[in-house]
Amino acid sequence: MSEAFTPHPILDPRLAPPFPTAALHVLRNPQLRKNVSHATDVIQTKRARLVAEKTDWQQLRTAAAAIRNQVLENLAGYLEEFEARCTAAGGTVHWASDAAEARAIILDLLHQEHASEVIKIKTMTSAEIQLNPALEAAGIRAYETDLAEIILQLGDEEPSHIVVPALHLNRSQVREIFARTMGLESLTDDPKALTAAARNYLRQKFLTIPTAISGANFLIAQTGSMAVVESEGNGRMCLTLPRALITLAGIEKVLPRFADLEVMLQLLARSATGERMSPYTSLWTGVTPGDGPERFHVVLLDNGRSSILSRPTERQTLRCIRCAACLNTCPVYRQTGGHAYGSVYPGPIGAILTPQLMHMEYAQSLPFASSLCGACYEVCPVKIDIPKVLLELRSQVVNQERVQAARFGDPMFIGMKAASTVFASARRFRTAQWLGRIALRVFTGKDGWIHSLPGLGAKWTQTRDLRGLPDQSFRRWWAARGKGER
Amino acid sequence: MSTPIASRQLILDRIRAATQNQRQGAPVHAGLSRNYIRRGTLGAEDRLRLMIERLREYDAEVVECAPDEVPATIAAQLALSGRRVFVAPVGLPAEWLAAGFDWKLDRNLAITEIEQAQGVVTKAFCGVADSGTIVLHHAEGEGRRVLTLLPDWHLCILNASQVVETLPEYFDRSPLPPNLATYISGPSATADIEMTRIKGVHGPRFLNVILVRDES
Repeated sequence: MSEAFTPHPILDPRLAPPFPTAALHVLRNPQLRKNVSHATDVIQTKRARLVAEKTDWQQLRTAAAAIRNQVLENLAGYLEEFEARCTAAGGTVHWASDAAEARAIILDLLHQEHASEVIKIKTMTSAEIQLNPALEAAGIRAYETDLAEIILQLGDEEPSHIVVPALHLNRSQVREIFARTMGLESLTDDPKALTAAARNYLRQKFLTIPTAISGANFLIAQTGSMAVVESEGNGRMCLTLPRALITLAGIEKVLPRFADLEVMLQLLARSATGERMSPYTSLWTGVTPGDGPERFHVVLLDNGRSSILSRPTERQTLRCIRCAACLNTCPVYRQTGGHAYGSVYPGPIGAILTPQLMHMEYAQSLPFASSLCGACYEVCPVKIDIPKVLLELRSQVVNQERVQAARFGDPMFIGMKAASTVFASARRFRTAQWLGRIALRVFTGKDGWIHSLPGLGAKWTQTRDLRGLPDQSFRRWWAARGKGER
Repeated sequence: MSTPIASRQLILDRIRAATQNQRQGAPVHAGLSRNYIRRGTLGAEDRLRLMIERLREYDAEVVECAPDEVPATIAAQLALSGRRVFVAPVGLPAEWLAAGFDWKLDRNLAITEIEQAQGVVTKAFCGVADSGTIVLHHAEGEGRRVLTLLPDWHLCILNASQVVETLPEYFDRSPLPPNLATYISGPSATADIEMTRIKGVHGPRFLNVILVRDES
């Protein structure tokens, strides 16, 4: 089957520029940086306060990591159990090995429903498989119903955060988008008025559009149930009012038992939005006669997840419950915002998840978009050691480059080769130091600093100074020390 | 593209190869570290006080009453709301349906009828004090899901004996997992615009709770 749609240019890892290039653009936009740092500051402060009041926070994290590990170790069994229970409860389970297959399954289901419009709950997986452009190409109008997603959809903007995807826009930018697209010229920039405008815009759509698409926060193997956590009630609308519901979920989203929610729900909202619980958590199981949709489909998405599962260090990436605490705390994300990552998954988790979902064929600059400070690991509710995975992925990227670089005579590759030859022998090292001292003397200023280097060296001195080499090396000073010199 | 059945097998085979785990069906759930707090330590009074405090933090209205005062308290709350048209699940006691109001009992009400109601009155399955959460299992008396979704004003009657302190205590009270459940922690809200919390996006804007002191 052939698909004709235009993919996201900014957030498609196959098309996006490397992180440093994309980040440069953002760093020159002070309004965006201000918006991002304000939003992340607010969430971080609220999170810190609510985490502090939980005396068993570390025990909860440990339990959550253990539950998620257990799921991943036995994933095939849990998925089969989920499938059996969900099917027995009247749901239909579909399996999609990649994004194209997931899009095809969903389009096929929508055609069966004769759907020309759908209402959608914010779902990362839908963005991952670029469902909206595919729906548009198929002539199906998708209405996002989460406030932030409406802002993005109407403003033709891209999401920049996993939980609050429009945090890069401020109230006057939102006002401009709503006034223009909803024809409300007298709209003020009061968030209350903006929220009311969104409520009015969607109310009729909720009541009349009979097909919905959602994601899921958790699937319960024991019962075949699904769980969605949200704040606005748009999720409840989409899960309750339509006749048909299609839920797209990554295969890693399973929990073993219903009672495992007692751990996950205590961690999720506190980490994500700095609340004790999100206003609404919805649980449903297949189809319930007289309450909610008459037809329910789950699409289980692999799309690279099973290959992550096979690698021992990287497997923990799949423990993620998409709370975005790692984004809010990351010194890199806080400066660049989400778009620079060229992926629907930005921040530290995106830096490890995206290249892996792309089978390490794209987004290789992302594992380097980190200072390795470890703040992400500290806040992660399921204890993903993101710095460790970043290092593992960096080594894979370097190995890839080594093969390519050798072929093309890349200067860094030659430099590294030269360095390894020099460092291998003390005599060569001493000679190199001596040569370097002579060569660098020309560039060293009177203050002992090198302010500008020619050629490749300029890449360093463009943004920082380099200390000039001292008159003698430590080894010479050490050797001369016993002979009365100081 | 592969056929649906082939994709299922392909994914399961990939997973089994990746995890080197050939076991069919789900494993036994044992041996996990679960030393987080299960049971709360508060006495009954403090537990209820915490529940009320949390609900009020969410801007929910809370009043308390004795078991024999429930009908009168409901009538008073309805009158205070200034609303007239209410929906209710059929499982609600007849004496709770206060006179002088327009009641629509949910015998398969159309969505538009529910949408036009100004409020809804229900029972609850449980309350969790730690997070101020109202748990609905959508049994009789709690109503189907849409009933507590479309009306802008929700009055929930919660017994003191239904209030637990911690979330794990709620799960201990639900050995049989519900088919449907909604956990409500405050009214519908968003912080999507500059992290400013705005009440009432799509769900009910007003949550009211009558806490019935059925414990001695």
